[in-house]
Amino acid sequence: MNELFLSYIPKNSPLHRLDPRTKLVALMVISIFVLQTVTFSGLGLFAASFIMLAYFSRVNAGTFSHSIQPMLVFFVFIFLMHLFLTEGEIIFRIGPFRPTFDGLITGTIVTTRFMLLILFASLFTATTRPTMIAYGIERMIRFVPLKRIGISSFDIATMMSLSIRFVPVLLDNARQIRYAQISRGLDIRHNILRSVSTTITPMIRESLQTADDLAIAMESRCYQGKYRTSLFELRMGAMDWGVLGGISCVVFLFFLLR
Amino acid sequence: MRFDHNIMIHINNLSYRYPDGTLTLEGVDISIDRGEFVAIMGPNGCGKTTLVRHLNALLMPTAGSVSVFGMDTKDMSKVWNIRQTVGMVFQNPQTQFVGTTLEEDVAFGPENLGLPQNEIRKRVDRALLEVRLMEYKTHAPKTLSGGQMQRAAIAGVLAMEPECIVFDEVTSMLDPESRQMILDTIQQLHQSGKTIIYVTQRIEEILPLADRIVSMQDGRIEFMGTPHEYLASVGSHVPAITSLMRKLKEKGFDVRDDVFAVDDAFLEIIKACRMVEKENIDDE
Repeated sequence: MNELFLSYIPKNSPLHRLDPRTKLVALMVISIFVLQTVTFSGLGLFAASFIMLAYFSRVNAGTFSHSIQPMLVFFVFIFLMHLFLTEGEIIFRIGPFRPTFDGLITGTIVTTRFMLLILFASLFTATTRPTMIAYGIERMIRFVPLKRIGISSFDIATMMSLSIRFVPVLLDNARQIRYAQISRGLDIRHNILRSVSTTITPMIRESLQTADDLAIAMESRCYQGKYRTSLFELRMGAMDWGVLGGISCVVFLFFLLR
Repeated sequence: MRFDHNIMIHINNLSYRYPDGTLTLEGVDISIDRGEFVAIMGPNGCGKTTLVRHLNALLMPTAGSVSVFGMDTKDMSKVWNIRQTVGMVFQNPQTQFVGTTLEEDVAFGPENLGLPQNEIRKRVDRALLEVRLMEYKTHAPKTLSGGQMQRAAIAGVLAMEPECIVFDEVTSMLDPESRQMILDTIQQLHQSGKTIIYVTQRIEEILPLADRIVSMQDGRIEFMGTPHEYLASVGSHVPAITSLMRKLKEKGFDVRDDVFAVDDAFLEIIKACRMVEKENIDDE
């Protein structure tokens, strides 16, 4: 996968300085509202606010297009599904294909919604360190009684940051295994099924070995899965409370006007 | 057992059997003093790694005992104390790097100890200065070299402020330059008073540094003594310089054959040459 997909872009902007929890709440609220929006003007409003926030974040536009690119096939697929499968006034007929005006409209709305979701999510990840996301989530779920199922909020946070850390390592392993097998004469293009099976077995073995080494290294550095502190302290500033207040007002007004 | 403050680690008649039944350690006795530099040598599969993993309670003895500053590793209530006292750096730099950036990785240990944020920051900065990686502190692991990652691992252990650090074949995956840098760092740590236990297969890198060599074979200690005693007693596995000196001695040159440093060997050879010259003059 593209390494720039949903990646963190270190900058010094008001958005970067916000507490990850504020941004998480904002992202959740925005996502819910985006999914509820059925009008073009509503979507336009979200698009405008995205552009404004993206401008404030000082993250360049290329980052966002990198996050959209891997999803393009998915967007096209959704759009076509709606275009052809919605009942309504038919635009033209080619054989069994009958795109409709209603399909065109719902397709555009649904695809735009997904695009906006991805864009807002990438704005969040571009302005928040991966560890801070994990730590923010840890703080938000700390009160959930996870002990009953045998894990702690700290375990979850550690798992998240380890996944972020080790996905590239595993991809690298896969690449090396692949090269090793190509150099021993495996023809990947003509024998896809075989190449998958011969890659997966060493991949799994290698991943388990990595996990084992990692577990030993973590244990010897006193990882207990219990209470731990962090190099970065989360602090809700005036701006965070302001943003949260603003969000609450919008949500309140929305329900009042409905 | 009486607790002597100068004894860092006491290993008493240690045996270890893996869950599948293979015996990897048998009757190992070592006592390591505070501030000592001990090198553990031996071929693959001789039990070096198994031995050192007992030192911070990653493995529990099948028979015998291991104690760190008088704390028995079998005592579950002392495990976190022991792991704080004896830090461990492993062979593969990639799989012991936990954080998404260098400073986060170094902070991992202190975070586990539950230290307050400003204390973590202080320790992280101090450790990064000590291994000379300060300017890389916000770098992601994929932008660091193997040697830098291995120094990061050392910083990660230093941030926990251990009395003793175990290095388990830490240079085996590195290029010569990074290897030398790691060795310099380790020597510096030893000079600052840390107890060092260094596992290796490379005799030449450790002879100039270690106070004591422990050589293992098939889960037992085969030899234990100073570097010079090691060279005097063990025939086969010696550095190239020592082999050269042995050959010269065989040919009748009056040189010591227990030296391993280039400078010492140079002096010995020069001395021998002068001697030969002098004899020639006397003959005339």
